[in-house]
Amino acid sequence: MIIDLNKQKNTIILLFFYSLSILIALLTFQDFGIHIEEKYHRLNGHYWLNYISKIFGFTGIQNITEIKINQIYDYTLSSVSTYNKYSILFDLPAALFEILFKIENVRDVYYLKHILSFFIFLLSSFFFFKVLLIRYRNFNLSFLGLVLYVTTPRILGDSFLYKDVLFLSILMFAIYYLIKSINSQNLKYIILFSLFSALSVNLRLFAILIPIFFIFFIIIKNFDFGNYKKNISKLLLYFFSFLFFLFIFWPYLWSDPISNFFNLFNYISNDGKIVKLFYNNDYISNNTLHDTYILNWIILTSPFLQTILFFLGFFYCFFRLIRRYINIKKNSIHNNLWRGKQEEIDFIFLIFLILFYFFFVFFNAPLYNGWRLVYFFNIFLIYFSINFLFNIKKVFFNKNLNKLIISFIFLFLMTYNIYAVIKTHPFQSLYFSSLLSPQMKNGFEGDYYGLGSKHFFEEFIQKDSRKVVKIGVATHTPLQRGLEGISKDLQKKIIIVGQEYDQADYIFKNNISEVNSKLIKKYQIPKNFSKIYELKIDKIIIYEVYKLTKS
Amino acid sequence: MKIFFYKSILVFFLFLAGFHYSFNYVVKFTKNKVSNNFSKENIEVLKDKIKSEMKTGINKDVFISKEDAKIINGFLDKIITDLNQANK
Repeated sequence: MIIDLNKQKNTIILLFFYSLSILIALLTFQDFGIHIEEKYHRLNGHYWLNYISKIFGFTGIQNITEIKINQIYDYTLSSVSTYNKYSILFDLPAALFEILFKIENVRDVYYLKHILSFFIFLLSSFFFFKVLLIRYRNFNLSFLGLVLYVTTPRILGDSFLYKDVLFLSILMFAIYYLIKSINSQNLKYIILFSLFSALSVNLRLFAILIPIFFIFFIIIKNFDFGNYKKNISKLLLYFFSFLFFLFIFWPYLWSDPISNFFNLFNYISNDGKIVKLFYNNDYISNNTLHDTYILNWIILTSPFLQTILFFLGFFYCFFRLIRRYINIKKNSIHNNLWRGKQEEIDFIFLIFLILFYFFFVFFNAPLYNGWRLVYFFNIFLIYFSINFLFNIKKVFFNKNLNKLIISFIFLFLMTYNIYAVIKTHPFQSLYFSSLLSPQMKNGFEGDYYGLGSKHFFEEFIQKDSRKVVKIGVATHTPLQRGLEGISKDLQKKIIIVGQEYDQADYIFKNNISEVNSKLIKKYQIPKNFSKIYELKIDKIIIYEVYKLTKS
Repeated sequence: MKIFFYKSILVFFLFLAGFHYSFNYVVKFTKNKVSNNFSKENIEVLKDKIKSEMKTGINKDVFISKEDAKIINGFLDKIITDLNQANK
């Protein structure tokens, strides 16, 4: 068989991109530190595996999980029943892998989860690429979107941590199947859409906006294209399968589905943690965040050209929608909110973004650590950036000039992202725009996940010749959780003494604090300690080390 | 029906925005003021300030001037006398 390389060029580019991404991920995934919530997620996985084993009578797994739960549990964790509302989507299969493949080293369990999480993210990037291809019918633009999706520094860094980027990935699958199911009567797409919307709700309750949006969209479509019968049957199928999947994938609902589901809303509104956030060199409470909080974080921590293109693309689509809205009149020919299937996708993305953004603003959602809870906005940021590049041809009539400008932006965006990713490795999740001054970069919360602990233990403490080293912790980050990411021998050498600084040989400090550190001196370094080291990546202080100089 | 639906959506959105930027805004502003002024941190700062002022007072040779001492003494005597009268 002869393969025409020219015809297969795009496939080869894609294959090359994915092979390279997988290769780089496999070579570097162990560089990332262990994050502070891994222990809880492992416990969550085994807890629910134990619960399911009990129900289905898998005694072997039940016994193993009971042992594992006792091993994992320590004083730093609240009872799992406090958190058992969290999704099992990733934690339970990971717990099952741990048992089936008999992985005994906890560090290996975590790294397995990291790489699996990245692969899910990479798979979602392909779905994003497919959406762009449906929308723009242009390989180059879609490929650029794909590269930006994967290489946005903060998102790439977080993609290994199976938290907020996992939701981004699942939401991306849901959006893809939403677009597919809207224009097709194929039941497969509707069922897959309901599956991924259920999984999205399972991960983040606010994803309940997806089904709401779907009803809204079907109503609007009905106005223009009629076909009530088919659309109602589509809606009914969607809802029944959505509820079915929601129930199946959420064991928390099994005992009492309706009241447990509504209890979640109570839990979220009453039990949300109120803490101080370090924001713009000041401490603010997370329950009184200003409306521009998310927007500011996005601007500060996204590559600047990408952000500019997003705004241009977003406002282009927004004003077009306003124009269409104003032009809707009873007897007008152009009587809808979008024209054609391509613009319909713009409409879906636009409404989703507005809906989610204002949901957070109107309900004053308490956020933690920057905008990580809404990292899924990155899907929209890149979509509208590409949208602007697609529409730029309307600005420049000269075809050659148009090509030249797009090629320049194309190259600049890709090169910049790749450069930023390399420069900040393995702390991409702490990336700040290079236009900011070092003072500004360090005026915001940094290493919330405690990823720097691995570096601190392996590169710093290991070099200390003493048999036992006592470490004080001048941060809200529970440093002891990072111990699971290092070798057993090194673990034995370390004793964490928390805020009992008088016992410490070294003090570990970063700028994460749950209280106003300018007023409360809980994390103030005693005078007999002096700074001997700081890890800086791209002028961002990841952590500082203080050493006892005189007792 | 279609135009009515679109207008309803717009009115609903404007209502939410109006509610948020009026009532919600006032609530948030008040919450912020209260939490800033009566926060645990501020109370701690106040306690520290009182303690440090007390320490300064102890270390001074004369903390209360003669004139002030006379006034306070007289004031306390007056209170004691009034309280004793009430007990009779």
